[in-house]
Amino acid sequence: MKKATVVLGLGNPLMADEGIGVYLVDRLVSAAERCSGVDFIDAGTGGMSVLHLIEGRGKAIFIDCAFMNEVPGTLRRFTPEEVRSTKVLAHQSLHDADLLRILSLAEQLGQCPEEVVIFGIQPEVVEMRQGLSVSLMDKTEYYLSEILSELDV
Amino acid sequence: MAKTVNVNVHHVTRVEGHGNIVVNATDGQIEKVEWQVPEAPRFFEAMVRGRSYEDIQTIVSRICGICSITHSLASTKAVEKAMGIEVSEQADKVRILMHYSEQLQSHILHVGYLVSPDLFGLPSVVPLAAKAPEVVLAVIRVHRLANEWSDLIAGRTTHPVTLKPGGMTKFPSEKQLRDLQERLKKGVADLKAVAEAVLSAAGAIPDFTRETEYVSLKQDTPPTYTFYHGDITSTDYAGTVGINDWKTVANEYVNDQSTAKWTKWHRPSYAVGALARYNNNAELLSPLAQDIAKMFAMEKGCCNPYMNNVAQVVECVHVVETSIQMIDELLTTGIKNEKVKVTPKAGKASGCVEAPRGILFHEYEFDRKGNCVGADICIPTNQNHASIQEDFEKLVPEILDEGEDAIRLKMEMLVRSYDPCISCSTHMLDVQFVK
Repeated sequence: MKKATVVLGLGNPLMADEGIGVYLVDRLVSAAERCSGVDFIDAGTGGMSVLHLIEGRGKAIFIDCAFMNEVPGTLRRFTPEEVRSTKVLAHQSLHDADLLRILSLAEQLGQCPEEVVIFGIQPEVVEMRQGLSVSLMDKTEYYLSEILSELDV
Repeated sequence: MAKTVNVNVHHVTRVEGHGNIVVNATDGQIEKVEWQVPEAPRFFEAMVRGRSYEDIQTIVSRICGICSITHSLASTKAVEKAMGIEVSEQADKVRILMHYSEQLQSHILHVGYLVSPDLFGLPSVVPLAAKAPEVVLAVIRVHRLANEWSDLIAGRTTHPVTLKPGGMTKFPSEKQLRDLQERLKKGVADLKAVAEAVLSAAGAIPDFTRETEYVSLKQDTPPTYTFYHGDITSTDYAGTVGINDWKTVANEYVNDQSTAKWTKWHRPSYAVGALARYNNNAELLSPLAQDIAKMFAMEKGCCNPYMNNVAQVVECVHVVETSIQMIDELLTTGIKNEKVKVTPKAGKASGCVEAPRGILFHEYEFDRKGNCVGADICIPTNQNHASIQEDFEKLVPEILDEGEDAIRLKMEMLVRSYDPCISCSTHMLDVQFVK
């Protein structure tokens, strides 16, 4: 049974800071007991599968690595309406569907949750290696508390 | 009529990664036709060195968000072969069911979200959802079914967690299998609707052929349209080559146009993927899948690369129909709780499965404690690069009079028809704030 709210961690833990969403959602699973109405899902790089993970929910919260022209480690909370994608490589590819385009497709099909929130985290390093950079690692407790406040926990 | 054409497509749309198309022609003389893949090479092999045999499938599942089950299965098969680990018939069948879910997931996404806009003359699936919502909704229902299927068997939609060397950490219950079977039976109607929709737009599939060598798995005992077991064959070769000898098939080499390695076997290039499997094994397709192929007048020996997408539709039907039957077999014998104990040992071996986009090879070597000391992975997309280049070289002179826009579209469609996965390991947002 799907819960009303879903928290989705996106990214690839083999690509350093690109895996921040997956790292944080894994940590948040331990908060699951306090959040009975919330599903926490490691969505990895599943791309379009996001469509099905958000369908039928009241609220979707995404945690993802985001290039926002900020200092590495910066966390920003925004909604899809507040940004436009400047990604030039991903045009609805199976392999790297752009989250913002997936959300607009969900909207068009009437399958988008009423409320969508994105927590974007500016990376320091995106390259082939496991583990987060120090800039992000030092702030993980802060990220977790910001995301949990969104859940009223 | 003499033509001057300059096509320079950097980063083909709807194909992730860096794939560039370059055509230069002056007064009808073609000076340059190139498929360039300039992305930075990746070194997944280095990441698994020093890691335990038990961790390999978890790490390689992150190579790709679309083919994660496939990478996990190829690596697990290699580990098992290297260490002489036997797998039960039940685990083997459940793994194949898991693998089929990924074929359906990937194919329906590719045909529904990436190829259909080309066929219907639209820039992406977003306007297609407005123009033909019933088709897009059927695609989405099939995709959802495939996701829930893989959730059930693999433990989640992508990046499976139920696989382990020697077997599975968890099996679905008989009730869950019966429920899945019911849903698969109902899903056939949606698949037929998708096939009908593709057929209705099939006039937009370019009429182009080039004699091509097609490489795939082939399984003789029992004869199977295989994605999982068997040895390597090609349309140019009557026999088969054992999986451990895959390097004598791939013959990887470096090309100035690309940072990815290219491959060749009996000809300067070969192709892999749904059309390759079809051309090597078509007579072994399930009955309904054969009917769908007939609908498109598709025959074994088809050398139109654009028809790879039709072969994908045919395979969607095949994996669903075959899975319905496999679930019957599993239910007849009953699901048993199997515990697996593995003792690591030194060894080296290769594992191979068919990824949705073609044959995939993983090779590993382990020390006596089961730690990885060497790895080599050869992905299907790299095996298709030389074939794409050769297609371009034949296609461009045939369409040079059609104008730059038509040339660009047909070349982009050609690249997309191979369903390439040039760079699928990252997923980050790239945004500008507008409010």
